Amino acid sequence: MQNRFLPYLLTLPSLFLAAVVIFWPVWDLIQISTHDVSRFGQLRDFNDFANFAALTADPDFMAALWRTGQWTVMVVGGALLLSIPVAMILNTDFYGRGIARVIIMLPWAVSLTMTAVVWRWALSGESGMLNSALIGLGLIDHNIQWLASAETAFPMQVLIGILVTVPFTTTIFLGGLSSIPDDLYEAAALEGATPLQQFREITFPLLKPFINIAIVLNTIYVFNSFPIIWVMTQGGPANSTDILVTHLYKLAFRIGKLGEASAVSLVMFAILLVFTMIYVRLAMREQRT
Amino acid sequence: MTSKLKRSIIAWLLLAPLIVVTLFPFAVMFLTAVKPRQEVLSPTWWPSEFRWSNFSDMWVATGFGQALLNSLYVSVIATVGAILISVPAAYAMSRFRFAGYGALRQFLLISQMISPIVLVLGLFRLMAAWGLVESTTALGFIYMAFNVAFTVWMLQSYFDTIPRDLEEAAWMEGAGRWLTLRKVFLPLCLPAIAVTAIFTFINAWNEFVVALTMLRSQESYTLPIQVFSLVAGRYTIEWHHVMAATLLATAPVAILFIWLQRYLVRGLALGAVK
Repeated sequence: MQNRFLPYLLTLPSLFLAAVVIFWPVWDLIQISTHDVSRFGQLRDFNDFANFAALTADPDFMAALWRTGQWTVMVVGGALLLSIPVAMILNTDFYGRGIARVIIMLPWAVSLTMTAVVWRWALSGESGMLNSALIGLGLIDHNIQWLASAETAFPMQVLIGILVTVPFTTTIFLGGLSSIPDDLYEAAALEGATPLQQFREITFPLLKPFINIAIVLNTIYVFNSFPIIWVMTQGGPANSTDILVTHLYKLAFRIGKLGEASAVSLVMFAILLVFTMIYVRLAMREQRT
Repeated sequence: MTSKLKRSIIAWLLLAPLIVVTLFPFAVMFLTAVKPRQEVLSPTWWPSEFRWSNFSDMWVATGFGQALLNSLYVSVIATVGAILISVPAAYAMSRFRFAGYGALRQFLLISQMISPIVLVLGLFRLMAAWGLVESTTALGFIYMAFNVAFTVWMLQSYFDTIPRDLEEAAWMEGAGRWLTLRKVFLPLCLPAIAVTAIFTFINAWNEFVVALTMLRSQESYTLPIQVFSLVAGRYTIEWHHVMAATLLATAPVAILFIWLQRYLVRGLALGAVK
């Protein structure tokens, strides 16, 4: 019977490609991280996970790990807090809603690399247009060297991270809001519920599955986000804005510590897998209902 | 009517801060791109004249044409390859019942979440072992492989929305599976295929880290790497050229994206959320 094998035949090439591009590099990373590697990249003896032990002793790695946590929590949280009200406003009927929507979606349409290049220029200390705008508005009286120290560079990177995450998050919430029937609000208004009560009792509970999805998806994306930090500061000055991805890139392609770099890769892969499992469970659960 | 006007004013006032911050980088990009060279480093906002020749100067000075061709080449390979491979898979997943369906769908969902950055070292070593570093063709195939999970997923969520009645009617009339597929099914899902293809194209067009790792010489740079190389590790940066290049590389894709964005959401996020 031809039909029994046909679906396997049709799905096999896709499955193969999607699998090979993940498992082949992962296999290679496992090999390098658990063996001594010669200068020419040849594998020697099994090394008892020395590379993983070296990571916990490496202050740069621990600092990058901690900063990745801050980066992820602040960007995901900030985008969430901003996107809920923005989506609620965009969900109401007002003049120029179409234009407002397009403007708010704009950062999503531009590649992160290009956004980061533009911000690097806008934040330049001597001739950056952010400084001249802020001086023009009378908010500051001298130029700030935004990218010269982590105290100003990292918060700026977080803000830009939030800004580019808002469009996607808002879109998810708009989808969620449009699924809430209007008569719920009309009934609540008739009963004398205040707008705050309506938000607490209707909007928030019904939006909750969408909030969960947004948190998990954004965590995955932001945790992995490389271009913003790499283009603006390359993790500098003095590794003070490094997150795991930039630390990994330096280990692998600047310093050439292949063993430790592959260990970092695998640690990140494992963290990513955990978040992805959470996402899959959420997504599949929603689909069944 | 007046209540809608009032609502509009409040809505715009509330959105104003976000809109200003969102538009700020675009204003910086555009105004710097058209400033005369000697005004770029002076902290004024408005240029004394719009120097449109910056774009043609930049094109020559930065080798923009070559990078544009490389980006097109890589993105076309990724798009055409990914679509050709994933249409049959999405069709099978949408129209057949078979053992392992659930596992396959979960696998696709997981693998589209795996970002190339955590694998880039392994990928680089594999490509180096095959002597394929610097090869834009190999880069195109890597993008293709990374996009397959996304394209199968997107296509299947669209295919599922196409009612089976039409195909079943064609079978009743005696048409075989292949004829039905060609005459009934494919024409119906052409828009979905086009939208998915465009998103794959944009993904490949914008990709940064794999290209940064694999491409080492200027002749093979794609646009993001080319623009980055104009900024990174240089003593004098010609910012008006950089911004002109950024604008040219961004605008066409951004317009496409804004136009098609709602399909992406329907297929991807809400396809999972329902």
